[in-house]
Amino acid sequence: MEPVYLFDLATRHAQWAALRQTTIAGNIANANTPRYGALDVEPFSTVLDKTRLVMASTRPGHLTPGANGAAEVDARATSDSWDITHSGNSVRIDQELMKANEAARDFSLDTNIMRSFHRMILTSLRSS
Amino acid sequence: MTDSLQAIGRIAAGGLEAQSTRLRIVSENIANARSTGSTAGAEPYSRKTVLFQAELDRELGASGVSIKGLSEDESPFRIEFDPGHPAADESGNVKLPNVDMLVEMADMREATRSYEANLQMMKQARSMISMTIDLLRGS
Repeated sequence: MEPVYLFDLATRHAQWAALRQTTIAGNIANANTPRYGALDVEPFSTVLDKTRLVMASTRPGHLTPGANGAAEVDARATSDSWDITHSGNSVRIDQELMKANEAARDFSLDTNIMRSFHRMILTSLRSS
Repeated sequence: MTDSLQAIGRIAAGGLEAQSTRLRIVSENIANARSTGSTAGAEPYSRKTVLFQAELDRELGASGVSIKGLSEDESPFRIEFDPGHPAADESGNVKLPNVDMLVEMADMREATRSYEANLQMMKQARSMISMTIDLLRGS
């Protein structure tokens, strides 16, 4: 059976959701800034694809690929903004609040997964 | 992780401050909607506007908002014929501020809406932080 690193996956997804929420907060704060383009983070699936396995380096001569294996998530301009106002601002508050709700829901899913998985581990401990 | 959640609070607080400054300027404009000069031919109050600019937070890669400064509206003043007014020039015309109530009201509504959106982000960040803390509580 393939092991599923549920805690790791949930943690990483929660980190991604938190970062997305930060980006959305930046968008909303700049809802009235002229020439500001709305940003969004890349989807979680592409973040996972970029994540590499880290090899242990036990000697100074060993090669270490990249940093710590945690993929960098970067914010970039969105292309699906609903409209652009005359001042060149592409932030729509309703759209951003919708995205914020989505991110909060993802985050709540992650914490609930962690909680129930933790409960499963505790159950196996208690039964012995 | 919590760090980026706390950053939401900082960014949203910056947004709240910027919007409340904007609201303050709107109220200044409305309060001075009929502030004329006191000597003959003097310039009246001129409408002010706020300039916002995005400010990149390097460690987070997200950008907050800050106020670049205030600027004055360069549009022409309203002219009214009132020879008895102390600020009237030799032909009896008085310059009144270039404040348009309708524009100010629209500005006020937009500032309030943006303020509410920032507040909403703050609430959401707080609920996300408490979700994380609730993990420790156990079941």
